[in-house]
Amino acid sequence: MLRQSFSGGVVIPNPHPVETVEIISAPLPDKVVLPLQQRIGDEAIPCVKVGDKVLTGQVIAKTEDHFCVPIHASISGKVVSIDEQIIPHKSGLKSKCIIIESDGKDQWVKYKGCGTDFLHCDRATMIEYIRSSGIVGLGGAGFPAHAKLEGIQDCHTLIINGTECEPGIMCDDALMQHHPQEIIRGVEILLHICGAQRAIIAVEDDKQEALNSLLMYCHNDRISIEQIPTKYTSGAEKLLIKMLLGIEIPSGRFAIDVGVVCQNVATTKAIFDAVVDNKPLISRIVTVTGSGIESPNNYEVRLGASFEHIVSMSNPNTNQHAIRMGGMMMGVDVETIHLPICKITNCIFVNNIEVKFSTQECIRCGQCNQACPVDLLPQQLYWHAKSGNTDKAMDYNLADCIECRCCDYVCPSHIPLAEYFSFAKALHRKTTEDQYRTDIARERFEFREYRLDRNKRERAEMMAAKKKELKKKMANDKTQKDKIAAAMARIKKTKKASDDA
Amino acid sequence: MHSNAHNTNQIMRQVVYALALGVGAAYYFFGWGIILQIALAMVTAIVVESVFLSLRKLPVKPAISDGSAILSATLLAISIPSIAPWWIVVLGVAFAIIFGKQLYGGLGNNPFNPAMLGYAFLLISYPLQMTTWAGEFLNLSQAIDVIFNLTSVDALSGATQLDEVKTQLALGKIVSELDVHSISQAWINVGFLLGGLYLIVRKIITWHIPVAFIAGMVFISSMLYFINDQIYLPIQSHLMLGATMLGAFFIATDPVSASTTPKGRLIYGFLIGVLVIVIRVFGGYPEGVAFAVLLMNITVPLIDYYTQPKVFGK
Repeated sequence: MLRQSFSGGVVIPNPHPVETVEIISAPLPDKVVLPLQQRIGDEAIPCVKVGDKVLTGQVIAKTEDHFCVPIHASISGKVVSIDEQIIPHKSGLKSKCIIIESDGKDQWVKYKGCGTDFLHCDRATMIEYIRSSGIVGLGGAGFPAHAKLEGIQDCHTLIINGTECEPGIMCDDALMQHHPQEIIRGVEILLHICGAQRAIIAVEDDKQEALNSLLMYCHNDRISIEQIPTKYTSGAEKLLIKMLLGIEIPSGRFAIDVGVVCQNVATTKAIFDAVVDNKPLISRIVTVTGSGIESPNNYEVRLGASFEHIVSMSNPNTNQHAIRMGGMMMGVDVETIHLPICKITNCIFVNNIEVKFSTQECIRCGQCNQACPVDLLPQQLYWHAKSGNTDKAMDYNLADCIECRCCDYVCPSHIPLAEYFSFAKALHRKTTEDQYRTDIARERFEFREYRLDRNKRERAEMMAAKKKELKKKMANDKTQKDKIAAAMARIKKTKKASDDA
Repeated sequence: MHSNAHNTNQIMRQVVYALALGVGAAYYFFGWGIILQIALAMVTAIVVESVFLSLRKLPVKPAISDGSAILSATLLAISIPSIAPWWIVVLGVAFAIIFGKQLYGGLGNNPFNPAMLGYAFLLISYPLQMTTWAGEFLNLSQAIDVIFNLTSVDALSGATQLDEVKTQLALGKIVSELDVHSISQAWINVGFLLGGLYLIVRKIITWHIPVAFIAGMVFISSMLYFINDQIYLPIQSHLMLGATMLGAFFIATDPVSASTTPKGRLIYGFLIGVLVIVIRVFGGYPEGVAFAVLLMNITVPLIDYYTQPKVFGK
C-alpha cells in the first residue's frame, strides 16, 4: 500500500501506445562497436589486439579500478580495429572503441556460476560474479551494480524499480511480462546479498499484464509487488522510496543511508544471469519508438550493434528524423542513427522533425513549481541562472534539482529550464573550483611574503644579537684591546713614515 | 516535448476573455464608454509597444502577439472612468507600457503591475478626470461626444459610491444615513467574480491570491465595523463596491509582478486586501486597489525569498 505520493510530477500520456508488448530477438549484427569509456569511471584498457579472435562473453578490456566493470565481446569474431568512434553522448564526441567483426558462429566462452542452487554461495562470490559480468544499472544511470551491493551493513528493504517512468519506453514492461521468473529469482539473489527482510517490486498501474505475470511467479512471502500511480518521475529512486516507504532521504544522502537498496528490474534479471550462470551482460532489451516509426517494439539486441540495426526492423517512414536516446524527457538528442547500442540505451526515439516552439519570456506563472517533484521554485532558479548569479541560485537549492524536465514540460513560455539549471550547476562548480584555486594561490603568496619577511626579520635579529655579543666580548677582552691598540699604533707609524718620506 | 495545456499567448488571451462578463455589466449600466476606452487602449498599446520594440531593435510581432500589452491596456481601460477624455487613456497606456514595462526590459522583467502604474500616474496627475464617473447609460454617439470632448460631461456624470460615501462621512454623516449600496457596482463586481472563477477553473490563475485578498479585506473591514458601525462601512459594501473583484482576480494576480510561491501568494494577497481597506478608510483616495497592489509589488522579492517551499530531503 502506498504511504504517500510526492507533490508535483506530470502525467504524460504515452505518445505511441502499442497493443501487445513483445520482445523480438534481433539477429546477430555483422559488426559491433564497444566503447571503452563507460558511463561512470575510467576508460578501460584493451586486453586484445587488432586481429585477435574473440569469443562471445570474452573480456576484451578492463581497468585496475575495482569500481569499474570489465567490457566483454558481445559476439564472436575478429577484432578489426581499436580506434576513435562517435559514441552515443550529447556532446557528439568521439571515444576509443573496440570493433569486432562477427564470424556468425556466436561461440561463447564457458563460464561457471553458482547454479540454480545459489543460496549456498557466499555474498562476496556473488558480488564478484556481478562485477565480472559487467553489470551496471540498466535503467539509464549506468551505475555499477556491484558498487551498490558491496559493504552493505543494515539494509531492511530492497526495492526493485519496475516503473518505466518515462512514457513511450516499454523495455522493462516487456521484460516483466516475458521474464517474470528470472526477475523473481534475481530478487531472491539480491535479498540474499543485501540481507534485507523484504523486497518490494514497484510497477506502474498502467502495466496490468506485467503485474499479473510477476504475481503468477512470485511465491516468496518476503517479496511483495506494489502498484504505483503512472506519473512521470515516480521512477526516480528517492521519490519511489518516499512513495513506497514514506522515508524522505535527506538532501545529499543516498538510499543506503536509510537502509534501502534500489535496483532496476532489468538489472535484477542481469544479476540473475550473472550469479546463476556467470553469464556476462552482452545484450539488452531496447525499445524503438517515435513518430517516425510505424510499429514501435522491443528488441533483444547485442551491445555494440548499431541503432540502425534495430530501427530498420521497425518500419521507419521515409521522412527526415530526429534521433533521441533514452526517454523523451531525460534522454539525449543524438546526431545520427549510426551509433552503438550501449548498456544504458533503453530506448531509441525516431521522431519526425517538428517545428520547435519559440521561447518566450518567463511570466512567473508558477506552473513549474507546481510540477516540480522536489518542490523547487524553477521560476526563481531561472531568474538567477539566466543572470549567472549561481550563488543566489544555490540559495534556492539549485543543487537539489534532479533535471527531470517536468518544469520544461509545463512551461507555457517553452523555456528549456532544465538546461539552464544544468548549465548553472556546472558554472557554479567551475566558479567554486576557480575560487578555491585562487584562494589557495593567494594563501600561498601571502605565506611566502610572510616567510620572506620573517626570514629577513630573524636574520636582522640574529645579526644584531651577534654584533652585540661581539662588542661585549671585545669590550671584555684585554688582549683584543691591546691588539687593536697595537694595530692602531702600527698604522700611525706607517702613516708618519710615509708622511716623512 | 511540451504539454499542450497552455502557452503564454493563450494565458493572456484567456484573461482578456474572462474580463467579458464584468465589462458586459459595465456596458449594461453605463453604455458605450467602456467599450470605446478599451478599443482606444488596445490601439495605443499596440502602437506604443511596436514603436518601443523597434527602438530596442527587438522583433515586434512575437511580443505583440503574446497579448500582454493588450491585457495591461484592457485592465487600465476598465479601471478608469468610462467618460474620461481620450487623452487620459492614451497617456495612461503609453505610460504603463513605456515606464511600467519596456524600460524594465519588457514582458517578465517589470517589478510593478504596468496597468496599476499607469492608473496611479493618471490619478495623481489628473484627479478631476479620474474621479468623474458616468452617471447613466450613454449610447454610442453620446459616448463619442463625451470622450472626444465634444460636449460637457457634467450633465452625464457623477461620483462613485465609494467617493460619495467618503465625502459624506467626512461631512459628519453616519453610515446608517447613507446609501451604501449600488446595484450597478454590485453587478459589475459579480461579473468580474465569475470571470475570475473561470480563470481558476481553467487553471490560468491559482486560488491563493484572490482568496487571500478577499480574506484580508473581510478581516480588516469586519474588525473596523465591529469597533464602530456608524463610521465604517459594512463588509458587503466593501466587497461589492469599487474595483474589489477586478483587483482580486485580475490585477493582484498578474503573475509577473506578484509573489510566486504558494505561501507567498497568500501573504501577498492578504496584505493587499488589508491595504485596500486601509487606503479606502483612512487614505486620501476613495479607492485603494492600485496603490495597495503597487506597494505590495515592492515587497515581492522579500516575500518570495522567505516563503520558499520545503525542498525534498531538506
